Amino acid sequence: MMTVNSRVRRIIRITVIVIVGLILAFPLIYLVFGSLMSDSQLTSFPPAFIPTSIHLGNYSQAWNYMKGRSVLNSVIFTAVTVGLQWMLCISGGFVLAKLRFRSSNAVTALLAISLFIPAITTLVPTFIVTEKLHMVNTYEGLILPIVAQTGFGTLLFRQYLVSLPGELIDAARVDGSGWFHILRRLIIPLAVPATGAYVAISVLTAWNLYLWPLVVATSPNVQVMTETLAPLASSEFGQIPENVAFAATALTTLPMVVAFLLAQRAFVRGLSGSGVE
Amino acid sequence: MAVAIRAKARSRRARGPAEGPRGGGQPRGASWASRDRAAAAGLLAPNLIVYTVFIVIPVLLALGLSFTSWNLVGAPQWVGLANYRAMVNDPAVPQAIETTMIFLVFGVVPTVILGLLLAMLVNVQFRFIGVVRTLYFVPAVVSFAASAILWQWIYRPGQGLLDFALKKVGIDGPAWLSNTHTALIALDIIAIWLSLPTAILLYLAALQRIPQHVIEAAMLDGAGPLTRLRKIIWPGVRNMTILVVIVAIIAFTNSSFDLVNILTQGGPVDATSTLIYYIYYTAFNNIQLGYAATLSVLQLALFAAILGLLALARGLAR
Repeated sequence: MMTVNSRVRRIIRITVIVIVGLILAFPLIYLVFGSLMSDSQLTSFPPAFIPTSIHLGNYSQAWNYMKGRSVLNSVIFTAVTVGLQWMLCISGGFVLAKLRFRSSNAVTALLAISLFIPAITTLVPTFIVTEKLHMVNTYEGLILPIVAQTGFGTLLFRQYLVSLPGELIDAARVDGSGWFHILRRLIIPLAVPATGAYVAISVLTAWNLYLWPLVVATSPNVQVMTETLAPLASSEFGQIPENVAFAATALTTLPMVVAFLLAQRAFVRGLSGSGVE
Repeated sequence: MAVAIRAKARSRRARGPAEGPRGGGQPRGASWASRDRAAAAGLLAPNLIVYTVFIVIPVLLALGLSFTSWNLVGAPQWVGLANYRAMVNDPAVPQAIETTMIFLVFGVVPTVILGLLLAMLVNVQFRFIGVVRTLYFVPAVVSFAASAILWQWIYRPGQGLLDFALKKVGIDGPAWLSNTHTALIALDIIAIWLSLPTAILLYLAALQRIPQHVIEAAMLDGAGPLTRLRKIIWPGVRNMTILVVIVAIIAFTNSSFDLVNILTQGGPVDATSTLIYYIYYTAFNNIQLGYAATLSVLQLALFAAILGLLALARGLAR
């Protein structure tokens, strides 16, 4: 039975939890409010917290500033990168988990090493390879080197598929199914939870990627959103009003926030690396 | 994240062979073996080809380039160890290492401590706990670019939210991002805000493995919060801590470029010039690709040394 004392403590604890949570999420909550304010309200001092009038026009101005093109490019980059990489990772992970061949462990180790190499180490030479392939300022150059970072995904799928009972696959093989058929009909449907965790994390990473696009996609027709957004953070940048900068930031951030709210389980699994369960 | 997978693989192995990998691929007749190899080649090859072209070759190329001088025009000139000698004599290098280390220590340590404390705080059941925890996790989806815009507004001298709050308690805040004493810490605070969700998540997973009745029994025995932390919580999260540290180090290494490039460009007066930023600057501003490659090798060696020490600590901890 709960004593009065412990009930009071529980209420205090829950209150603290809510307040701390609101503090942590505050910059994002303020982002939404600020993006709807007039410029004079957003830059007033002391700071105002609730918009006195709603300015949705900030968003259309932000869209114009981002040229729409960079938003579109981010969508293309994210979708194609994650789609291609998913195909490579699930088929590679399947091979490493369920097929026996001599260099299987060596390949797994080779993929694992890449997780511990900082992006900067390979930045210059990857740029050189991309340049030699005449892919600077093209979608291919933007996308392929990121698709190639298959280490995390392949190991994630391998780990997930290793624990799958082998009888299912044996049965399919006795039926004479080829490996590709087994992958398509058996493995992909069974690996949906792993795919969920993988997609959540990969979409997030691609959408937010900054360093590689900054180096390889400098012309406006391939630039992605992080590149058009970043200059707004510089204090000398006075080209557009603060409230429009907020709207631009919200425009790039809110899709991921919504995705997170809709697929929190997949994100949580991916972030904690336990998509393997 | 990756480490989580490996840790899991290890724990699975530790549980004994009965639960270990036992795929359909294991016991099988010789007639299938050659078909297996062909299938393996077909399904794995595309993955390994792009991986080799854009990851393996660049790593090897970085090593090779570090012995050359090259400005992208013409062919790289072989200069032997000249870049390495230059690196040893370059006063910017020890400074960049020091800046990176300060950034890492003042970022990773608070992330780990706050991550544990906040995970302990939200490790409770009530009706809307799922919704409330979302508030703790959602900063994880914010990009460096977006967080830079939000925080430069919070940090704005005299006008921003932070100075507003400080003025309430009678403190005049510094110009956070343009003061040599505060710029690096200001960047750390942003990176901590972005890294906390993952730390809380990982710690929460470890805490939820400690049975609630154990904690309650300790409380009935009169164990105070500190004793509970030391005797029950800490043993339960000790192994997870090393994982949280590794994940945080990888996150802070990346943010030590993105946030610096967006918000301070290494300034004021090199106060935020981390090693990664210096490498980027050397490569793409000074167009000294050979020297940048040499610095990349140094970065990789430092990174490997730190992670190696942690792996060692993890080995000793169990």
